[in-house]
Amino acid sequence: MIDTAPDGQTAPVLALENLTKRFRGKTALDGVSFSVPRASLTVILGHAGAGKTTTLRLIAGLDRPDAGRVLLSGRDVAGWQPKDRDVAMIFDNLALYPDKTGFENIASPLLIRKMPREEIAEKVQAMAKVLKIGHTLGRLPATMSGGERQRIALGRALIRTPSLFLLDEPLSSLDAKLRIELRAELRRLQSEHGYSFLMATPDFNEALAIADTVVMLRQGKVVQIAPPQRLYDEPVDRETAQAVGAPLINILPARLDPDGQAIRVAMWRLPVPGHLGPVLAAAPDGFELGIRPENLVLADAAGADLAGQVTDIEPLGLKSVLTVKKGEAEVRVLVESAAAMTVAVGREAGLCVTDPSMLHAFDPASGRRLTA
Amino acid sequence: MSIPKLELVSLVKEYNDGAVVAVDGIDLRVAPGETIALLGPSGCGKSTTLNMIVGLEEPTSGDIHIDGLSIVNIPPGRRNVGLVFQDYAVFPSMTVRQNLAFGLVVRKKDKDHIARAVDEVAELLGMADRLDVRARDLGGSEMQRVAIGRTLVTKPAVLLLDEPLSNLEAAARLAMRRELRRLQSEIGLTIIYVTHDQIEALSLADRIAVMHAGKILQVEKTSVICERPDHVYVAGFLGSPPMNLLAGEITPGQGGATFSHGPLTLALPGDCVLPRGSYTLGLRPESLRLAPEAGAPLAGKVSLVEFRGGDVVVTVDIASVKLDVVLPAAERPVTGQAVGVDFDPDSLVFFGGDSSRRLDLRPMGRPL
Repeated sequence: MIDTAPDGQTAPVLALENLTKRFRGKTALDGVSFSVPRASLTVILGHAGAGKTTTLRLIAGLDRPDAGRVLLSGRDVAGWQPKDRDVAMIFDNLALYPDKTGFENIASPLLIRKMPREEIAEKVQAMAKVLKIGHTLGRLPATMSGGERQRIALGRALIRTPSLFLLDEPLSSLDAKLRIELRAELRRLQSEHGYSFLMATPDFNEALAIADTVVMLRQGKVVQIAPPQRLYDEPVDRETAQAVGAPLINILPARLDPDGQAIRVAMWRLPVPGHLGPVLAAAPDGFELGIRPENLVLADAAGADLAGQVTDIEPLGLKSVLTVKKGEAEVRVLVESAAAMTVAVGREAGLCVTDPSMLHAFDPASGRRLTA
Repeated sequence: MSIPKLELVSLVKEYNDGAVVAVDGIDLRVAPGETIALLGPSGCGKSTTLNMIVGLEEPTSGDIHIDGLSIVNIPPGRRNVGLVFQDYAVFPSMTVRQNLAFGLVVRKKDKDHIARAVDEVAELLGMADRLDVRARDLGGSEMQRVAIGRTLVTKPAVLLLDEPLSNLEAAARLAMRRELRRLQSEIGLTIIYVTHDQIEALSLADRIAVMHAGKILQVEKTSVICERPDHVYVAGFLGSPPMNLLAGEITPGQGGATFSHGPLTLALPGDCVLPRGSYTLGLRPESLRLAPEAGAPLAGKVSLVEFRGGDVVVTVDIASVKLDVVLPAAERPVTGQAVGVDFDPDSLVFFGGDSSRRLDLRPMGRPL
């Protein structure tokens, strides 16, 4: 029914315009606008309470906005029933039919549409293979693990072909390893079939790994819309820089030397990177320097950009995170584990910046990234 | 090792008269002050193992020792093991102080003792100034600290942590990991840490025991296990992404031995000593690199590029094989691009087709 719209082919599958929603006087969404191009994967990234689920519910028609519009394939769907919107929503808390097997649960949307039995069986088996739940098809939900139930619910939603899938933390209750495998499968499924996905997650790894575009949501507001790499390399503000990337980006109070020749960072001195020169000249009251932990390497303490005492070593397999402290300032650095073996907690270590062009400066008050 | 703090001896747990074997004969010795992670997917038997140590479940056979003495006939409340799990088990209407004191109050300890123990633990957890706050007003990581503190005040011989961080948001989880590392080094507790998350295991444990289908497949120092997985399952579980694993055959030939997996064939180094037979080849994603198609030992098409911040994981489809390759973000190819894949022959790892154990490719005494 959706394709009857005259501009259905050119309009994005979803466009939100100034969407606002209040609950008992509290503003949950505050003028949210973004769009989802057809056959793309857009991720809403935000902490708990940022408004991710509220956004999805408004799109699905489960709640009504206080202001703003939801456009599906170019058409304002205000007042449309959820079932008429041609969207499928997948919640993190799953509701399966307890008296139906895994197979019947996944097949249920197709049974309602009276699809031939053989075709249904084929589709369900294919979906079960993608989601690695072939072994649960004959079982009732009560005998499945939480992760298996979640994947059955995912399968039931994905077996339909709506114009837009809304996925609300679909992988959240799965094992770490399975989560990584399934996100890749979701991405494949989406791109192979040309589906349109809008997925909400608090997990930046998930967002960076599979999104075409990330919509960064904070306290009900969109703060940045960007492809993963741009979000990571050019975060709009300090909080965004901190929200994407592990180990956490180092944020250090800094100021430009009066002669403009060096940056004073805590008790250290750094050469001024070319791209920051003009920016910092305009920030006489100081700024905050952002250094990603992978943008530092261990070096001889003499002649290093930063030096201090190692206070923590966190092994993460092939890589390790060192914390180096001097006075009040602490810096995390990501190193090869073999290199981490050469230092010890309590000992001195030096650090050098690998790529000065990737250093960020933030305004201490507003948190905004300073750019030329 | 002197007398282990905790020892599991041929521990077995069966259900339904042996129809289901949840724990299938595990042996483990944990030294005093050591942190061991039981790492595996859900259903591998790690939580059942923990439940037997605590006394919530009875072993079908085998034994559990603490300080050399069997504890299987001791009731749970008197085993002197502390358990912290992911659902905090903190009383929301009680203050932090009341929560911390709870375990000692029910044990009818005298007031001075309780006050001292609570202060000590609050200090340790950095919550001395939060003692009069109600638990329901705490954040997730503070709540989990209280849960751990409640256990610590009873001075358990062994602390058992069952996915204690899985309900926390990413930032709180990082902070809590650091907190736990500090606690370990300050009070020298013996800890069994159960998790499905390898990052938690790697960052907290001295040694990791990888579990699968009720068995411990490898117990190894954290610093070693990623470099030298000894079992094909461990190789496929650890690492992000884990090692690429291809089951196939080694065939000796005139020009040297080759390994084949379906349509793929790789020449092996000239001094390969592995005899003809079935093997699984392991290729670490960090040891692979992209190369021009012509002349590369493997060639295929990029099917997925996952951005991770500093680097990317590229999946290359080669016939029916999917190979993960880790590259610097700046070298990322695009989806659909035809690429060659190259590697250093020294980085190849083989596991026995039947034994699943790691085998040396080269004559003994030479580094692999």
